Amino acid sequence: MIGRPAHPSDERLLESYYAERSGDAIDPRIGEHLTDCAACNGRYSELTRTLDEVRAEGIAEADAVFDADRLRAQRLAVARRLEHVSHPARVISFPARTGSAGRTPTTRIAPRWIAAAVAAGIVVGVALGASYQWESRTPRSEFQSSANSRLAPVATRGTGQADVAADDAFLSELDAALERPRTRALVAYDALTPHVRTVREQ
Amino acid sequence: MSGDLRTASAEADLTPSGSAPAGLRRDKPAVVVSDDTRLAIEIRTLVERGEDDEARERFGELVAIHQRRASRIAYQYLRDASEADEAVQDAFVKVFTHIGSYREAWPFEVWFTRILINGCLDRRKALARRDRWVVHTDISSSDEAKLPTSPIADPERRLLSRERREEIAGAIDRLDGRQRTVFMLCHYGDCTPREVSAMTGMNESTVRVHLFRAARKLRGLLGAKR
Repeated sequence: MIGRPAHPSDERLLESYYAERSGDAIDPRIGEHLTDCAACNGRYSELTRTLDEVRAEGIAEADAVFDADRLRAQRLAVARRLEHVSHPARVISFPARTGSAGRTPTTRIAPRWIAAAVAAGIVVGVALGASYQWESRTPRSEFQSSANSRLAPVATRGTGQADVAADDAFLSELDAALERPRTRALVAYDALTPHVRTVREQ
Repeated sequence: MSGDLRTASAEADLTPSGSAPAGLRRDKPAVVVSDDTRLAIEIRTLVERGEDDEARERFGELVAIHQRRASRIAYQYLRDASEADEAVQDAFVKVFTHIGSYREAWPFEVWFTRILINGCLDRRKALARRDRWVVHTDISSSDEAKLPTSPIADPERRLLSRERREEIAGAIDRLDGRQRTVFMLCHYGDCTPREVSAMTGMNESTVRVHLFRAARKLRGLLGAKR
């Protein structure tokens, strides 16, 4: 008695699916079995449906993102990059050349700068010397009197106790303003924090 | 990452200048040379002769042949259009700069895809590192702008379709690293298990096992949500 062949495993069905998709013939025994056995045919259909759906959805999604414009842009980008590959950028060595070769330009350029600097120094020195001599010839008494007037103490508004207290208060305010933080965000924190000055006063 | 294919096999060198893939080393060289492989050999010859302009011109044809498939794979891998775009560009540039090391012992598609998935793996690692610090939405604004161009006119159906896509993407993301790679190469890259074996350095039977496990897990995840 010839028995019915065993039901193919999922693995065999999967192999058949990929063989069928790539255009190869599936195992004839499995093919026959699928024709005869409704249960296995249902299994195979379910497998095919799921995998076809996964493939179709994945390809549709990728193709929607990589449409014709994007693929054209991609080709252009590759071509542009390949041009740079063929013509690599010039590499400038860093640091500059070392040794005697590196000093050569310095030794050639330096004398010009030195000569120019020396000439400029002489001109400035002569000019300053001349102006000093010219000033020293001016009448001393006049200079001294104007200097004395500049250095004389400035007369205050008054000499009473009240004026001194007002000046002290003004200077204290000035100090306090200088001690206060200039950043706006810190003013609030500063207001919350006790100062040494206020502690001392208490 | 557990799915890093560079740890899959000690003999599998996935660098562009690497040796022949394990999956194809045992086999005789392919008798029928595909068009893209022939083109790659021509480009290599042009580069060796120093005719760079002509080589670049011909390389444009190679890019046109492979870019859609490459973009699909990269997008499924990275789930970010900009990252996928850059990964594809990087892969093409790397291919051109290493074209001298290409050997026709294996198809150009296999060699190119190896380079592409290596780049994607590196980017995935970098993204994972970045995700620890940056909070972002699942879909970028540029991708969002693309979605309304969907052919589905009915907003409800469009929403359902979008949700289903997110479910599928989430399910694929939950696969083990190697399972995910094998599944995506077979499913979106249209590669056979033998080709995936050549790309990843895994045995063909191992590829089949990963593919089977991935499909079973996906069916479980997607079936359970229905």
